[in-house]
Amino acid sequence: MANNKAKVAFFDFASCEGCQIELTNYGDKDFLELLQHIEIVEFREAMSEKTSDPIDIACIEGSYTRQADCQRLLDIRCRAKVVISYGQCAGTAGINALKNHQADYQSFVYDRDAGMPHLDSDNAKPISSIIKVDYQVPGCPVNRYEFLDIISHLLHGKEPVIPNYPVCVECKRNETICRFLAGDHCMGMVTRAGCGAPCPADGIPCEGCRGFVDNPNQYALSKVLHEKGGLSLHRAESKSLLFNANERDNANKESEID
Amino acid sequence: MTAFENKKAENIFLPREAVILNIKETSQLEKHFTLRNADASKMIFEPGQFLEVSLFGYGEIPIGLASSPTRENSFDIVIRTVGRVSTAINQLKEGDSLYIRGPYGNGFKLEQLRSYPILVVAGGVGVCPTRSLIQYIMDRREEFKSFTLFYGTRDPSQQLFLEDLKQWRCSDKVEYYETVDKADEHWEGPVGLITELFKKTSIAAETRVIICGPPIMFKFVIYELDKIGIAHNHIFVDLERRMKCAIGKCGHCQINNKYACLDGPVFALSDISNLEEAF
Amino acid sequence: MNTYFIKESDFNNFIDNMLLQLPVIAPVLSSESVESFFSFEFLKNHDELRLDYDITILPPKKAFFPPRQVIIEFSHGKFHGTVNAKKQVLLGVHPYDIKAIDQTDFLFTENYEDINYTAYRNATTLVCSNIQTISKRAFWGSISHDVPARGHDAFLTKLTDLNEAEEEGYLFEVFNEKGHELLSFGQFLLATELQIQQAKSINESIKDKCPQQLNYSQDEMANTICRSFNNTALWDELAQDCFSCGSCNTTCPTCYCFNVEDSWNIDQQSGQRTRYWDSCMTEDFAKISSADGQSENFRKTTAARMRHRIMRKMVYLNDKLGTQACVGCGRCSIACTADIADPVNIIKRIMEEAANDSL
Repeated sequence: MANNKAKVAFFDFASCEGCQIELTNYGDKDFLELLQHIEIVEFREAMSEKTSDPIDIACIEGSYTRQADCQRLLDIRCRAKVVISYGQCAGTAGINALKNHQADYQSFVYDRDAGMPHLDSDNAKPISSIIKVDYQVPGCPVNRYEFLDIISHLLHGKEPVIPNYPVCVECKRNETICRFLAGDHCMGMVTRAGCGAPCPADGIPCEGCRGFVDNPNQYALSKVLHEKGGLSLHRAESKSLLFNANERDNANKESEID
Repeated sequence: MTAFENKKAENIFLPREAVILNIKETSQLEKHFTLRNADASKMIFEPGQFLEVSLFGYGEIPIGLASSPTRENSFDIVIRTVGRVSTAINQLKEGDSLYIRGPYGNGFKLEQLRSYPILVVAGGVGVCPTRSLIQYIMDRREEFKSFTLFYGTRDPSQQLFLEDLKQWRCSDKVEYYETVDKADEHWEGPVGLITELFKKTSIAAETRVIICGPPIMFKFVIYELDKIGIAHNHIFVDLERRMKCAIGKCGHCQINNKYACLDGPVFALSDISNLEEAF
Repeated sequence: MNTYFIKESDFNNFIDNMLLQLPVIAPVLSSESVESFFSFEFLKNHDELRLDYDITILPPKKAFFPPRQVIIEFSHGKFHGTVNAKKQVLLGVHPYDIKAIDQTDFLFTENYEDINYTAYRNATTLVCSNIQTISKRAFWGSISHDVPARGHDAFLTKLTDLNEAEEEGYLFEVFNEKGHELLSFGQFLLATELQIQQAKSINESIKDKCPQQLNYSQDEMANTICRSFNNTALWDELAQDCFSCGSCNTTCPTCYCFNVEDSWNIDQQSGQRTRYWDSCMTEDFAKISSADGQSENFRKTTAARMRHRIMRKMVYLNDKLGTQACVGCGRCSIACTADIADPVNIIKRIMEEAANDSL
């Protein structure tokens, strides 16, 4: 039977690898059950083996940030039947894209070492800007149950279902109190659902870690964050930069700064 | 309003099994399935009605019945690969099972068509639900006056029911005209939009017209029909919507105040021409 | 049928006795932050019960039409329905929500009965209770007020503002056998004529106390809104700040749209077909896929979706229901982060615009 299992590999680029760690959080029972159906052939967080063989499903974590990434990505694409951008860094460059809008980030982060050649890098870009990506698992980190669902869809040859409605829908289905009504702010109105809205349920605002829905009303977002959420105008405007720097209407304008 | 009756209703969402007798690949994207109810019961339906067809784990989609109810032992559907369910269904083999609910909806009102000249205008996959009516008319040709059929596709590779087309081209039961928007090297027939076919024959003002195809086609065809002076209550359109539950509840197929699954999918044009969301 | 009275001091016993026999779904405090938020939950004891709630986040329809409901389970080519309704009590439902339940009762039975709803609805004893606290966005005093609340099995009214000599407690009206069954759980007395009159006056006088009012007849609103269908500038204006987030739909007691999705269990062999509350305000609601990865969206813009929502609430279903499909609970107004969903503001704006046009 082992030969019939889908071969799954994980690769990492600029990221914290937290999305891969998330996979190890299933617990024994579910993880072992999952291994009945897939064979993990490369996964740095849990095994030392590597592969140069063809792969059924390649899960790529992290953003493109330097020239050398290109060849590695192309090599993965050539070997993989299905490429999944795994987590938000791979999907939209997520939090890494923050640096695209800050000319002084190197001195800010690395201080005296800022000029070291190995710290030089390009703008953070989604993996899909370099190679064709078949499916995206959003989130920072990914939701392991959503990932499981996506894998199970792929095993059956079915395109995964990723919602194009915002987190508000899930908060309502959960009967979670809206952060705005609790005197807080939130970005759930523009953020792609599918996570099950755990943050607002724990009393934490949605930071938009899964990226925007297809057509987010960014004008209203700033307005509501300011008027109802009590954020300063500047903060309201820049709030969505955290995870969606590359996604925003004015993203290109801002990236011209550096 | 409330007062439920104390009857044991059936679970309307439970499908029943249908076995695939035959599969024909009608184009690169479409497959033509001939099915039989697993319990061997007869499928009773009107041309223009649809089924909810499902595969567990993949989901359920509305599919127009593509054969005539006059053909007793089996029924046909055509599945175009567009989404999750259709992709999965098109990988099935003969002898496999599908799960179906229905038939649902309002079909073509045959009593409003009988003893009149008939024109069917089918664009692209729109030929699938109308095939049921076409077969019916061909089988009971004496019940209708003249019968004209216009069939247009984007290019020759999109043509469906190739065997039927061969038959229609030379049949004396139907005046058949076809066109493609764009020809390929093998195509010897006419090239142009479906509305060009109106120049090839004359359509009487008393004709009853059935239109089925992509939304963009409707406007242009109706424009031609208006020139002939065909009343809008004599024009019937088959609308494609997201008929998810098929029983007028889930709301996905709603067109203004109408439900495509209950009030349609076949509508008299006069009933919907004032509905902005119809076209 | 009959009208009874239960003393305040006996009421907790009534609830606890009922809980010994039946699951009871009732309003409880969900959370206390800037203000109090309530929800309908399975009651654990009488202490939790908050009949003084103003509004719940979600409407009580979830007791028979939950946000997520498995409707079919499948395994290795076999499948079965999942309907398994057990007797339960839904207690403390305000009259506006009773009206909404009456509507969904009708809508889930007309043409085709959906037993995934009706089985649970039939197994439920529905107890209405009077409105003790008025929600700040409520407008039930001036919408769908032509129809009475109906379909409930009993009605509980807390008698307040009494003379010193009078005993505090609740008037309990039972309308049918289902309501009557609850009498066995408490020390009920026959109500006096005075108590009946007091309850009547409590339930009558509150109708004028809503913070928001619509001063139009149902037909006036329906006709004018219908005529505004093609006023695109108006709908664009109304929807300008809309997120298409669906909060207005998902908190609405009369909304009943749903989507259905299949999923596999981890064994990759068994799985379920689940229906979810869906929302016509979200972008993909009326979208269909056609070939070549193309799609067609029949309500592409937020304005078109906003219009559809208002038409459904105020126009489309009126003939069928004999009233508007809005009961004035104000949940959508509270839930809308951009604060553009309030039907009162929307209707007033449409009526104003129409009045200006006709000048």
